Amino acid sequence: MNNQRLVILLLLVAYIFSPSLFNWIINPAGAWYRPYIVWVIVIAIAFVMQIRRKKYHEFD
Amino acid sequence: MAFESLLKVCALCAVGLVAVFGVFDGLDGLDQWLLDHPENLALLHTPIHTDSAHTLLLVFVATAVTMPHIFHLGLAENPLMRNSHTVTWAFPLFLLLMALPIFPILWAGTELSVPLPPQYYTLGVPILFNSPGLTLLAFIGGLSAATGAMVVISLALSTMVMNHWLLPSLKLRTRTDLYSQLIWLRRVLIAAIFFGGYLLYWILDNRFSLAHLAMTAFIETLQFLPGTFAIVFWSKGNRRGIIAGLIVGTSIWALGLLLPILTGLEFIQLPLVNYAVPVGIEYWSEVTLISLGLNTFCFVIISMLTRQTEDEQYSADLCAADEISHPVRQALDVHSASEFKHRLAKPLGKVTASREVDIALRELNLSIDERRPYALRRLRDQIEGNLSSLMGIHVASEIMDKCIPHSTVETQTTVDINLIESRLAEYRDHLTGMAAELNTLRLYHRKTLEELPMAVCSLGRDMEVLMWNRAMAELTQTPGEDVTGSYLEDIPEPWCSLLIDFSQSKEPHFYRREIELNHRPHWISLHKANIEGPITAGVYDQVMLLEDVTETQLLEQELVHSERLASVGRLAAGVAHEIGNPITGIACLAQNLRYDSDNPEVLETAEQILSQTDRVGRIVQSLVSFSHAGHASKTEFEAVSIRDCANEAIHLLSLQKEKTQVLFCNDILRTAIVAGDAQRIIQVFINLLSNARDASPEQGRVMLESNEDENSVTVSVTDEGHGIPPELIERILEPFFTTKEPGEGTGLGLAMVYSIIEDHSGHMDIISPADTVHNRGASFVITLPRHLDSFMDA
Repeated sequence: MNNQRLVILLLLVAYIFSPSLFNWIINPAGAWYRPYIVWVIVIAIAFVMQIRRKKYHEFD
Repeated sequence: MAFESLLKVCALCAVGLVAVFGVFDGLDGLDQWLLDHPENLALLHTPIHTDSAHTLLLVFVATAVTMPHIFHLGLAENPLMRNSHTVTWAFPLFLLLMALPIFPILWAGTELSVPLPPQYYTLGVPILFNSPGLTLLAFIGGLSAATGAMVVISLALSTMVMNHWLLPSLKLRTRTDLYSQLIWLRRVLIAAIFFGGYLLYWILDNRFSLAHLAMTAFIETLQFLPGTFAIVFWSKGNRRGIIAGLIVGTSIWALGLLLPILTGLEFIQLPLVNYAVPVGIEYWSEVTLISLGLNTFCFVIISMLTRQTEDEQYSADLCAADEISHPVRQALDVHSASEFKHRLAKPLGKVTASREVDIALRELNLSIDERRPYALRRLRDQIEGNLSSLMGIHVASEIMDKCIPHSTVETQTTVDINLIESRLAEYRDHLTGMAAELNTLRLYHRKTLEELPMAVCSLGRDMEVLMWNRAMAELTQTPGEDVTGSYLEDIPEPWCSLLIDFSQSKEPHFYRREIELNHRPHWISLHKANIEGPITAGVYDQVMLLEDVTETQLLEQELVHSERLASVGRLAAGVAHEIGNPITGIACLAQNLRYDSDNPEVLETAEQILSQTDRVGRIVQSLVSFSHAGHASKTEFEAVSIRDCANEAIHLLSLQKEKTQVLFCNDILRTAIVAGDAQRIIQVFINLLSNARDASPEQGRVMLESNEDENSVTVSVTDEGHGIPPELIERILEPFFTTKEPGEGTGLGLAMVYSIIEDHSGHMDIISPADTVHNRGASFVITLPRHLDSFMDA
């Protein structure tokens, strides 16, 4: 059961929202560094999750 | 590698900063420049709108896994990558830092009109900016990046080629130095790969851009994607499927991209239909989709049509993160770690084999005496893993299969409980929902069994110990970690034979089996039940419960013993009473006979009768006093000086001139005063001292010493005789037990002493040997309560 349902859900959400997100990212009117903002957000999420996981393991 | 990456990032970021702040005067300047030159932004947006953008994304995401060197680093060489969660954000950050300066540098190059192709703008911008230091940094960064990539790729490729192509087909000369052969082979391979790379560069003659070459290479590595995914997500995939898929995908790639690059081919004429298919790097997107699609299709179809081998099934079960797989326990016919060395000596040579086994043992924290099947299976896997990194999976598994084969024949149905457990423990954090709850329930039940205050163990049907709870570990003095996973026959005695007997017997219970633990007898009751196996019905595992009933057994024995003593006492009283009267009569008659006759023979006979009746009288008297012991009431107790009692006894004994002459040393303190009956205390000393005298050699010494504290007085009588054998110590207090010759002693002396001491609320200890240096002598230590009034007066 290894979290695969979560992966499927994530894929579904990504599939639904990816066109609008993609359009926003590549909107010619926007700044050129928009893709990098998304990139930074992904890194931040990964970082926060790692910190939380560490804490969880400390309490474990 | 790490230094190279850092240098690369620093150089790129530095050039990027120069581009933004040096060329464009900051971010505002850059924005203004982009507004002024919108064609540069438009250039970025055009390719995204074509269909190939998604294919490109697929190619790049996939290559992050399937590029040979990344795959090799991530899976084969560096387990750190998998374990450390820091990588999850640090690596994207690294890539971000790498990617962020790219566009500013590109635009700066355009602005400065760098007379170089865009790939070299990183060098061109600092040159035109007149900054030699920065140019050098950029150059070193680029150089180190290129060198690093080349080193890593050629190392990874050489390892892969050696392990998977060369070694399986080469027969290494065994028994000589295996390691140096491997190292030389590797060196040659690295050189060959370097030259191969250069040869390709030379053949292509710099006709293609780096991007095109990379794209071509990436699309080929993409062909490994279906197989890589199947490792984790699809356990039904097999070797034939992967190979078929790879062949199809690679052929399409070779026709569509590789051949055009090498030969300049532009069209391929299809043989049956009269149609020419255009090929070449311009059609990379189509080639990618078709090759990958057909590859996946072939892989799935062939895998479904063909059957997995047993090995594949086993490996797939191990890799699958799926909860319904039953990892099957494969049995080994090896019974100890040292046997591994022996068997591996043939293909590897003695030294190498011994070294490899030692390394694996150290990595698993096992010892060479290891005999547990579970540990041996792990050892086998570890050695196979180590050999794999040395000479490749193929050769390693071939060697292991030949020398230490799994015997899967009859144990096919045995589920590896240990493996399931360790895997559940490993995946605990990843379990969600129902599975997590089930796991919690499992842990709870496990804990219940583990903490059960009764010894429990469970056995697989091949007599492998699956569980060994804490009470069991305490009872057997063997920790569970040492036993779990081993065969029953390998656990220490006496448990081994007891448990094997029990598990093989048809009876569900064994009551009070006597075993010897630490040289003392213990009694164990055993109970067992069958557990139906999780897969097949009709075959049973066993669960056993052990109960230590030693204390109950001892209590029972003690009860029986004191009951016997009591009945002996009653018997003695009866006998004394019945015998006393006739004896008195006989003694009277003998007295009369003495006065009535002058015949010396008759007088002699009368004397004899009198002395014998006297002896019978004494025996009867002691019987009576033994059986009357305990009747004296404590209210009659008065202050008694132990020292005086002992002196009295010594005086009485010294009258018996015919016995062994010994020296009595009365060192009892005058302050040793107890509450008691003086006559009976004298009796105690007479008995103890006469025993001591009888045990002593001629002119031996008998020591009387005392010791006191607030509430009690301790007196010891120690002789220098031969001591009391340990097996008799328990028995010498029994009435009628004596080691003396028949007629010498009644066997009541010490029993009487004991009962008198008990009546005085004291107790007696026996220490033998008293002199541990010469291993001789016995010491009787009596503790009696003090007479408190005299203590106060003193």
